[in-house]
Amino acid sequence: MAATAASLLAAANLRAQRGPAARSNQRSLGTGTVTAQQVADRIHSSLGVEWRPQSVDGFKAGDPATVVTGIATTVLATTDVLRRAAAAGQNLVITQEPLYYAPNEDAGNRAKDPVYLAKKAVIDEHHLIVFRFTEHWNARQPNEPAKALAAALRWTSPVPDSPQTYRILETTLQGLAGQVRSRLPIRGGLRMIGQPGLRVRTVYLAPGTTSLGMAVTSLQKADAILAGEPREWEAIPYTLDTWSSDRGKGLISIGRMVSEGPGMAACAAWIHSLVPEVRVESIPVTDPYWSVNT
Amino acid sequence: MTAQEIVTRIQQKLQTLGIAWRTQTVDTFKAGAPETDVTGIATTGMATFDVLRRAVAAGRNFVITHEPTFYNHQDQTTDLEKDPTYQAKQQFIEQNKLIIFRFHDHAHALQPDPLVAGSARMLGWTNYASPTEPRIYILPATTLRELAVDVAAKLRGKAIRVAGDPDMKVTRVALGPGYGVPALTPSIDVAVGGEAAESGGNVEYILDAAAEGQKKGVILLGHMMSEDWGMKEVADWLRLLMPEVTVEWIPAGEPFGASR
Repeated sequence: MAATAASLLAAANLRAQRGPAARSNQRSLGTGTVTAQQVADRIHSSLGVEWRPQSVDGFKAGDPATVVTGIATTVLATTDVLRRAAAAGQNLVITQEPLYYAPNEDAGNRAKDPVYLAKKAVIDEHHLIVFRFTEHWNARQPNEPAKALAAALRWTSPVPDSPQTYRILETTLQGLAGQVRSRLPIRGGLRMIGQPGLRVRTVYLAPGTTSLGMAVTSLQKADAILAGEPREWEAIPYTLDTWSSDRGKGLISIGRMVSEGPGMAACAAWIHSLVPEVRVESIPVTDPYWSVNT
Repeated sequence: MTAQEIVTRIQQKLQTLGIAWRTQTVDTFKAGAPETDVTGIATTGMATFDVLRRAVAAGRNFVITHEPTFYNHQDQTTDLEKDPTYQAKQQFIEQNKLIIFRFHDHAHALQPDPLVAGSARMLGWTNYASPTEPRIYILPATTLRELAVDVAAKLRGKAIRVAGDPDMKVTRVALGPGYGVPALTPSIDVAVGGEAAESGGNVEYILDAAAEGQKKGVILLGHMMSEDWGMKEVADWLRLLMPEVTVEWIPAGEPFGASR
């Protein structure tokens, strides 16, 4: 459905005259009374974290003055996710990762690429608005993506004074890998470092980027790290050397998208609490990887 | 020869190849005294603790590593001073009087780039190199699944990740080193490299291309499964450059997997 911003605004004005009861009856039609800019404003004011002047977060496509008919949150606004959002009447897509293949959204050499142009055409055709929300979502304390990942893993015992660290029923590193595999939508993206028989009782959750600093600090207390995307010249060799230096430690990496999935589902619930006028749903992105090793 | 004399000879050789030594570079000594006499050179993809132990056992006191020793690109150690893993590694280096030098920027400047040539040789692709396009290999027609199985078998990689339709037809492959996975374009079927940011372009491009009915793929080998082999090429190059010194390739190996 391709409704113009102007026609939606007209509909919203009409409803405003009819009063709140009429508005709630209109909800099922997928129209609302809030613009994308107003959604962004509510995010800014409710975040609890100051909005950074220099940030990758913000509007990446579409007109922020458009009236929002529904909101989809996602880890990655792929062409498929955009089409699914449009089909469900969700014209505002809130994405954690970039829209156009680079952190600065500069398509660069892909500016004339048919894949890029097709994606742009989907956005134009359905008058979608895309808002990136990563730095600020990650900045909330306690860390929202880690909290949501723990909930998805059914881990309920945070270790006091150790942010993002959870006490789990004692297992081995191999056992932890099996548990993670069974509770998250993983295909081929799981990789493991450490002695498979390593005893694991505490795990540090590092969805998204898993930095060296996180590894150094967390492994002082935690037995293992459940990582999103660790660099292979940083947290990976650090964990490897920690294993080699007889401090038994381990790391399981599950990839950025799988690790951030629960966080963006939680984000949908949070956004809905700020924008009760419209439906807010998360559109999952599955593990992009498969493996020939498993 | 001292470690410094070896580095000087490398720099002089690069000069004759038209590669000036950069003023801003990570290719510096990371540990040890450069004036130490060298008992043997070990080249490696990464100077892990395990590689250092194997170098000492083999009597090679000079380690030439492609990737960092201390877990960050600049090998900054200020934040690591109190870390037990760092302390143990540093203590081992000092006790065994090891010297460590990084050979990264200038290795990639060589033509052909040994880090790409090394992977290509391991994969058996050397003869498929495009005569006109750097890093492009034109392989006998295969599928992404068959290609990935072949790659994993040749490299003995334990954590190779693949994105894209396993049944897609593949002939044109772009091969990059380490973190330099080539960007997919309409003229490339599959990009192969070490590691990449998942929000770095290729995975999103594959998903978006699939939505338009175009098939693209990526094979991520892992950083060491991509670049370790190139340091074998560097070992061969150093051997010709300084025949009086023993040069051995000590691979860092696959860090991932259930055993090592």
